[in-house]
Amino acid sequence: MMSPSVWRGLRHAARRGGSISTPYRCFSCTRAARVENNKTNDGGMTHFGFTNVRESEKESMVGAVFSSVASSYDNMNDFMSLGIHRLWKDHFVRSLNPGSALPSRDGTDPANRGWNILDIAGGTGDIAFRMLDHATNINHDRDTRVTISDINPDMLAEGKKRSIQTPYYNTSRLSFLEANAQEMPSVPDNSVDLYTVVFGIRNFTDKQAALNEAFRVLKPGGVFACMEFSKVDNAILNALYKQWSFSAIPLIGQLVAGDRGSYQYLVESIEQFPSQEEFRAMIHKAGFMIPGRGFENLTGGIAAIHKGVKPLS
Amino acid sequence: MAPSTILAARRPLLTSIASVSRPSRTTLRPITQSPRLYHCQHTRPSTPTTKTTTPSIPRRKYHSTHQPTPDHEYTNSQTTILTAALRHVPQLGFTRDALTLGARDAGFLDVSVQLLPRGEFDLILFWLASRRGLLRAAVDNGLFRKNGPRELSVEQKTKMLIMERLRMNADVRNQWQDALALMSLPSHVPLSLSELHALSDDILALAGDTSVDASWYTKRLAVSAVYASAEVVLTRDSSPDLAATEAFVERRFEDTQALGDKVGGVKECLGFMGSTALGLGRSWGLKI
Repeated sequence: MMSPSVWRGLRHAARRGGSISTPYRCFSCTRAARVENNKTNDGGMTHFGFTNVRESEKESMVGAVFSSVASSYDNMNDFMSLGIHRLWKDHFVRSLNPGSALPSRDGTDPANRGWNILDIAGGTGDIAFRMLDHATNINHDRDTRVTISDINPDMLAEGKKRSIQTPYYNTSRLSFLEANAQEMPSVPDNSVDLYTVVFGIRNFTDKQAALNEAFRVLKPGGVFACMEFSKVDNAILNALYKQWSFSAIPLIGQLVAGDRGSYQYLVESIEQFPSQEEFRAMIHKAGFMIPGRGFENLTGGIAAIHKGVKPLS
Repeated sequence: MAPSTILAARRPLLTSIASVSRPSRTTLRPITQSPRLYHCQHTRPSTPTTKTTTPSIPRRKYHSTHQPTPDHEYTNSQTTILTAALRHVPQLGFTRDALTLGARDAGFLDVSVQLLPRGEFDLILFWLASRRGLLRAAVDNGLFRKNGPRELSVEQKTKMLIMERLRMNADVRNQWQDALALMSLPSHVPLSLSELHALSDDILALAGDTSVDASWYTKRLAVSAVYASAEVVLTRDSSPDLAATEAFVERRFEDTQALGDKVGGVKECLGFMGSTALGLGRSWGLKI
């Protein structure tokens, strides 16, 4: 059975969303119910949207959300962001400029050529394909490779399906990894040039642990880059944005994906995510150097790009 | 990484420029001028180590806490990359490729150029700021004493300094048009202008200009205009030892002189006319 507080929170969230008379279709009624809670209160608590849940449960609850949205993921993103998420992702990749335009100096070993990119929470491959395209077409670099890592096998399956359409299918430039970003024993220390996590880190149970893990796997001089929803700095835009995200997005979720609860979770998790400055402090705490201001606001701060560089020594 | 090293890395510090000692400057200067190295110490009181690590920088006697920290100061890693990248500028220009090679030279990865959020423009700003530092060093090393012990006028010194600064651009003059184009992008204009102002300000301060009235502004404007136009001339100058550019600067200074004379003449004329009118009115019995 679900814990009463989770149930109350979800029911409350559903009611706030508007006057929908259809019976509430809880995304997690079946899935989260499987997460047997053993009624012990000793585990640490964390956020799941506006609800507090035990840390041990969050992972599977988030997993349930993304399993249920995997197939309609792109359509929903288009509807919710009015297509702007594509511009953000293009800008993100362009600003990182993946791929070496100049020939490598220690040239002959192919492992040293190109960049080794790790795309965390990149299940559907949105960012990975963009980065490979950029490396190939802009920088004429055919050695840069991307590992798509996701904790959720359903999202990874979606990415694998889409990769068939790309020229990188079944090449050494693209690989998939099912792993928890907080602990990736299969990725060796100091092995990654660029670590990206796009619209994923807010779902992590322990964000600081994930940042520390990123620091571990990156080569010295490697870059941590993260795009995530953030805090809007303009009061008027913020009011509009809040209205949109709390009224419209769950409704769109219900109409398009037939899943209100997942999208209710989505907007609540955005609300819970730390502000630009707080998150920058977390990146700094993990040991990264912060270039310049450390973040770049997109569309008035609805999303923000954070970067950190691992120091040499 | 230990927290103290992080602090040291994050602290804005133009190491290469900071290492160039500052000329002793007795003139009081308005606070709008910002010796760009110093006020980060004042606006960031949370870095108590500043004093111990940079003892060579004298504290300013006065400062404005309202001034924001200038946003083109670099950490040690950034300075390392930029310094290494400058060596590739004569061949590759102020480009991302130069930055990438600089990063490789400094032991970083290709991706590490992300340390410089403005990319190529950071390279240009670094070039400008570091050349400004070298100009001060040149004065310290006796630029003005080259032509014997004779004391030069402020104008002669200004001219010498402008030419000295232009000569530093000689190596990159084939790349400089690209740099000027980048600097004139709308988003880059404010920083480029502030850098130009800093240069003209430095030139006049080093030349020993002590004006505190409105001419403080006009002089800086004049030096900025002469320098900026001479820079463009330099990009197409193929004469030996930049003779064409030097002649150009000479002519611009004469123009400034002539313009100043004309403005003075007009002012004098207006003054005479005014006092004549006043006297005329009084002679007619007006109570003026």
